[in-house]
Amino acid sequence: MSSPALAMESLKLRKAAVQRGATGVIVFGVPAMSAGFLAVARSDADGPLAAKVAPMLIGVGWTAMFGFVAQALSVGMLLAAGVVVSWSFGREFTDGTFGALFALPTSRRSIATAKFTILGIWGALTCMATLLVTMLLGTLIGLGLPTTSDIGAAGRALAVGLLTVALAIPVAFVASALRGYLPGIAGLLGIVVLTQVLSVSGAGAWFPYAAPGMWSGMGGQELAGTVTWAQLLLAIPVGLAGALATLRWWGTAEVV
Amino acid sequence: MTATVAIRAEAVSRRFGDEVAVDRVDLDVRAGEIQALVGLNGAGKTTLMRMLLGMLHPDTGRVVLNVGGREVPLVGLAPRDWRQVGHLIETPLAYGELTVVETVRTAARLHGLNTASARSAADAVVADLALAHWADRRNHTLSLGNRQRVGLACAVVHEPTVLVLDEPTNGLDPAGVIVVRERLLRSARSGAAVLVSSHHLDEVARIADRITVVHRGRVVGTLPPGGFDLERAFFAMVYEAESAGQGPA
Repeated sequence: MSSPALAMESLKLRKAAVQRGATGVIVFGVPAMSAGFLAVARSDADGPLAAKVAPMLIGVGWTAMFGFVAQALSVGMLLAAGVVVSWSFGREFTDGTFGALFALPTSRRSIATAKFTILGIWGALTCMATLLVTMLLGTLIGLGLPTTSDIGAAGRALAVGLLTVALAIPVAFVASALRGYLPGIAGLLGIVVLTQVLSVSGAGAWFPYAAPGMWSGMGGQELAGTVTWAQLLLAIPVGLAGALATLRWWGTAEVV
Repeated sequence: MTATVAIRAEAVSRRFGDEVAVDRVDLDVRAGEIQALVGLNGAGKTTLMRMLLGMLHPDTGRVVLNVGGREVPLVGLAPRDWRQVGHLIETPLAYGELTVVETVRTAARLHGLNTASARSAADAVVADLALAHWADRRNHTLSLGNRQRVGLACAVVHEPTVLVLDEPTNGLDPAGVIVVRERLLRSARSGAAVLVSSHHLDEVARIADRITVVHRGRVVGTLPPGGFDLERAFFAMVYEAESAGQGPA
């Protein structure tokens, strides 16, 4: 890994409007929505709004709050990370800068590796910041301070976020091979649609993109309990395969 | 004594489907000279330059780079050997969200300079190419001409010994053209091999030591540097090549 590539990718991502937008939506939007749902469920127990929120509610207090966050991250973080990954790789083609990355002592493979590294760090920090904001908002709506027994629920939300970041990596290959961020985003939408179709048809948690959502409780508490670690960890080989295919492509592709 | 060949294309060809973009072209660029590659749009100049820089692989033939006195084929080149090369082919390395000075520093780092050297080299070249006024402006706010100058700054910031520039004066006003021309002359005087392309005989082509004419993917002749009525000689050469059927094989 060459540090010039890391420095460049870090600078580009820090200053990118797409990153700032995606980070803002996840870090503030997800906890705010979760706190709102929970506040409704607590204050309007017999009302129509609470009835709508009830199926998503797993447990009470902080467990319910982190449960909401985990469910929101399973979809929201996949979309946010997918868009940012697609932009990071695809923009080199859309903006026409891919050619400028040739004939350098910094190889294109190391630039692509730097992109993955920086995107991974961004994804992890975004998930952690989301949990911090969640704790702040949870305290504000009267949940008190989280206790050690709430750590499990928080850990599950963090794990769901990190798994979806890994699952967004293959979008980099689509954006690279099809030379643009819009094809990458189209690929991301395809994944979301396919996940819905396979979930409805009963393919279940063996489809890697469905597993984190199911585990977070999107299909209810009973279904969440059936998801195994092996099913969840399929996200790692999926992400790794996407990264390796992308690195190979970046090492051999021509400028056209 | 003949100057050292810094970069050489040996009978390189490249086809895109049925279209022969470059057809068995031999070309060498020597240390300390400016060579202009002139030809009409679609003549094959950009494809040839992309092959020189490893952006495209030749179907036949090869490109060699002089690395410390050894001629090394591009396929066997170590990444660090690219340090001696600078280029600007079509789109500059100018990400819209970065400022001018961030862009040039980034290019310097990518070309192998350490952080401190990159900082001082970038500041110097930004001043040299009359970009200081826009140093803290983001690239997306710049005019086409200034973006082109940023691209040139990225290409020369590490003082390369081989410089490959595709139509570097695109979008520049007359003052910008003079800035670029002076910079290229200085690079050549310090020993760099400079290859510039143009679809017309502009101010940069006119300062060349050699002018090579490309038509339909082939080198069809050379023009005398500093000669009078170069346009007429250029079009006569192209017309003659066209009449002789020097099209794709």
